[in-house]
Amino acid sequence: MRQVLREVRRAPSRIVVSVFALALAIGAIGVFAIPTVASSSLRDAAERDNLAEVVIGTSDTGDMNVETLLDSLDNVQAVDTQIETEVSLDAGAPGGALLKVIGFDGQTQQIDLVHAEDGRLPEGRDEVLVSNGVAPIGTTVAVTGQDGETTDLTVVGIGGTSFWSATSAAFTTLETARDLAGLEGVNRIVISADDVGKDELRATADSARDLLAQEDVAMTFLPITIANNEHPVEADIEQVSSLIGILGIVAGIVALVLLGSTTNTLITERTREVAVMRALGARSRPLRRRLRRLAVGIAIAAVVIGVPLGILISNVIARMVLQEFVGVTPDIAVSLPVIAGSVLFALVGARLVAARAARRVTKIPLATALRDRDGSPFGRRFTERLASRVRLGGLLDRTAFRNGVHRRSRSMAIVAQITAAVAALLIIASLATTINDFNAASVEPFNWVSRTEVAGPGLDIDADVADSDPRSEVSIDAIGEFDGWQVDVRGVEDDTLMIDRHLDEGSWFVQSKEAVVSTGFAERVGVNIVYSLDEQPAVELAGLTETIVIDSFQDDGGRQAILMIFGAIGFVVVSVAGLAVASGLAVNVYERRHEFAALQAVGGRKRHVFRVVSAELIPMAVLGIGFGLIAGYFGGKAIMGSFEASNAVEIGYTFAAGVIPAAAAVVIVGSLVLGGLMVRRVTRQPAALTLRSAA
Amino acid sequence: MELTAHISPLDLAISGSIDLIRPLVSATDLTRRWGRGSSAQLGIDGVDLMIGYGELVAIVGPSGSGKSTLGALVAGIDRPTSGSLVIDGTRIDRLSNDRLARWRGGNVGIVFQNFHLLPTLNATENVELALKLADKSVGRRERRLRSGEALASVGLGDKMKRLPTQLSGGEQQRVAIARAVVTRPRLIVADEPTGSLDQESGHVVFDLLAGLVSSGTTVLLITHDENLAKRTDRVIAMLDGRVDASIPAVSEFVDGPLATDALVAAVAL
Repeated sequence: MRQVLREVRRAPSRIVVSVFALALAIGAIGVFAIPTVASSSLRDAAERDNLAEVVIGTSDTGDMNVETLLDSLDNVQAVDTQIETEVSLDAGAPGGALLKVIGFDGQTQQIDLVHAEDGRLPEGRDEVLVSNGVAPIGTTVAVTGQDGETTDLTVVGIGGTSFWSATSAAFTTLETARDLAGLEGVNRIVISADDVGKDELRATADSARDLLAQEDVAMTFLPITIANNEHPVEADIEQVSSLIGILGIVAGIVALVLLGSTTNTLITERTREVAVMRALGARSRPLRRRLRRLAVGIAIAAVVIGVPLGILISNVIARMVLQEFVGVTPDIAVSLPVIAGSVLFALVGARLVAARAARRVTKIPLATALRDRDGSPFGRRFTERLASRVRLGGLLDRTAFRNGVHRRSRSMAIVAQITAAVAALLIIASLATTINDFNAASVEPFNWVSRTEVAGPGLDIDADVADSDPRSEVSIDAIGEFDGWQVDVRGVEDDTLMIDRHLDEGSWFVQSKEAVVSTGFAERVGVNIVYSLDEQPAVELAGLTETIVIDSFQDDGGRQAILMIFGAIGFVVVSVAGLAVASGLAVNVYERRHEFAALQAVGGRKRHVFRVVSAELIPMAVLGIGFGLIAGYFGGKAIMGSFEASNAVEIGYTFAAGVIPAAAAVVIVGSLVLGGLMVRRVTRQPAALTLRSAA
Repeated sequence: MELTAHISPLDLAISGSIDLIRPLVSATDLTRRWGRGSSAQLGIDGVDLMIGYGELVAIVGPSGSGKSTLGALVAGIDRPTSGSLVIDGTRIDRLSNDRLARWRGGNVGIVFQNFHLLPTLNATENVELALKLADKSVGRRERRLRSGEALASVGLGDKMKRLPTQLSGGEQQRVAIARAVVTRPRLIVADEPTGSLDQESGHVVFDLLAGLVSSGTTVLLITHDENLAKRTDRVIAMLDGRVDASIPAVSEFVDGPLATDALVAAVAL
């Protein structure tokens, strides 16, 4: 550390830049932590709200005492009864917004605890506590219940429980909810279990179903079981979260490039100093140790900044994910494995890169290292002599081209850095576009009027509602299970226009027991055409509630959320990649300051120096953009392919070609601006001073 | 009153060495300092200097005496902290960086101890580049022709396509001289041009520089080499950033050489 401090005193700005560059690289690793942080935050919320392990929707339980009935079941720790219904806001207006209403007993609640963040819990009749954004405290909301009656509800508090965090909801007393739902008893049972294993919870749910059936109470949807203290909305963010985790690989690669280039520069720029020490009798081994220690010391300093930065990045993005997708505002959480990994990444990575660079620096023949600032002067290699015969362009262009050949490692590093930056930008943009396209396709059916049929007692449906409008169709939505996978089952008319009937293989279903499955799912679970699904213990349809008709479904919020989250990750990753590029360019220009000073001494102006720099940068930028496009296309495709395979979903891949002009412009303009700034910096001091330092 | 070491303009005018009305180089109270306060480092301090057209002047002095700093200022590759510096009627200390660079290209040729050739350009291209930067109106063909002539004049007609790494030190210095003269400047500043060369190469280089004077070019030679200094028209001795008044600084012009024993002893090279 003492050595690092000494170096800081000697060249403060360069060391500080190195530390911050490495810190940003370490911080970028924080992207890996986003899924863990999000999950951890949700579990904290689940524990705080004591969320249910089993949720059962039922038909009207009437005057039956459900708590007493189910309390006797094995594995049941506590039972709460609730009412769940939906009401129409803006009473009287056709197509008014829907509001979920949850009836609960504020005095005795043990499960899915409802909290008032502002105001208080509802106590009297027609009082409600609403989730944030529904209505302010003190206002009256007119709603139309299931019986068509309008009721004025008074908002007495803002808050809720994280189970309903993704939903605009109103929480009220059981009595008020009962009136709105037109029930005599309750229609929602929440159970807290002793053993929260998946199988145990299923057994509990099955037992509850049997008991309820004996009392002529039907389940209206498959029981929800939430095993292992998970949060019920974890599944909702699981895919986006794991996709973000995969993006961590992109972040990791660019971080690696930055770590490599920063550490390498740190050591290489000491070539001459090392040569002088060798000339004075220092042995290579202690010198290499000293250089490694310097790199590790700087990495340690970077860890001190980078780890909190990574925690900040992961928490900010996890918070975005949770707020945008499930409406939960999480507390700060950390992922210890990711922190440990990023520390190891920095320390081990810096040491390995430093060891290699130190070996190279101490192996340069002493006479060469002392004589030549750059190790090897131009013209020693065959390729350099060949390049010196190329007479294309003006003299300044030639010197730029030949320098690119001369410092081929540096040139290749810059091209690789630009490639990584462009690829990262394109991958992230492509994934965001892919998800948005997928989401748009997913919500397409909801632009149709839909109805479901009822299995079980209770609800009356007017089957002619679809027939009255030729633009509408009927369908059934249900969640089933196949071979351990949860499956969305959609029953549609065989001539449906509601969904795209393009088939990759086989033919459309025409009779009972036939189904079309998505290609990705079929590949994942090994279903072939003519494979009979009904031979499996497959889709179970316990019962359905009357569906709410949705005339149109806009998902602009989701689209914005995806763009925002991926934009934030993109910002982090591209910043790291951009810094790597900037670092490479800066070193490239800085190393040649003596050459530029010589150019100035013979009459070259700043623009001539800039001409040389830009003539060298532009081909590298063009190459980097080209390679970046290829890497971005195939990298994004591979990530989506891997995601589809691991999640058994078929999402497709949309390459964000629209980003290419912007990416190209950013790289070219950014490189030129950066080059201009560096030129300004190296030409600021009189040429005599720069040349003197070269002597 | 402190005596300046160099000859007064009047004496120089009498001797016919300079044009009193318009000297090529006129420096007044020229100071160069780096940094501020107690850590400030002094390069030169209040130097007055006049150099006429067609003179071959040597600046001598021990290391750290400020001779290279003075040379850099006169060559326009450094800026004085204070004082004025007029060269061929242009007050160069007031020029912007770009104007100063343009001025350098057209008016001064610089020869460095370490040559400072662009390593990626061959001999012709290095010379050609100086011409291109100095005068845009010169076409490519003429540039090549003049570069070839300049290289031939320094004896490198057969090595024009060689890269700097393929040339010896003496040859590289000759390329640097060709680069300096190709723009036909009025002033050439040569900072230790023979410092990196063996004695024979050094004499060749000096002869080339001295030969330029006959064509009316002024050469300011910064050197440690007493033998070379003896062969110049005039010697200016520097000590601790000032012109050393204790040393007779002027030769007997025209026919030189006259570097006195006192000079040799005092300079303590």
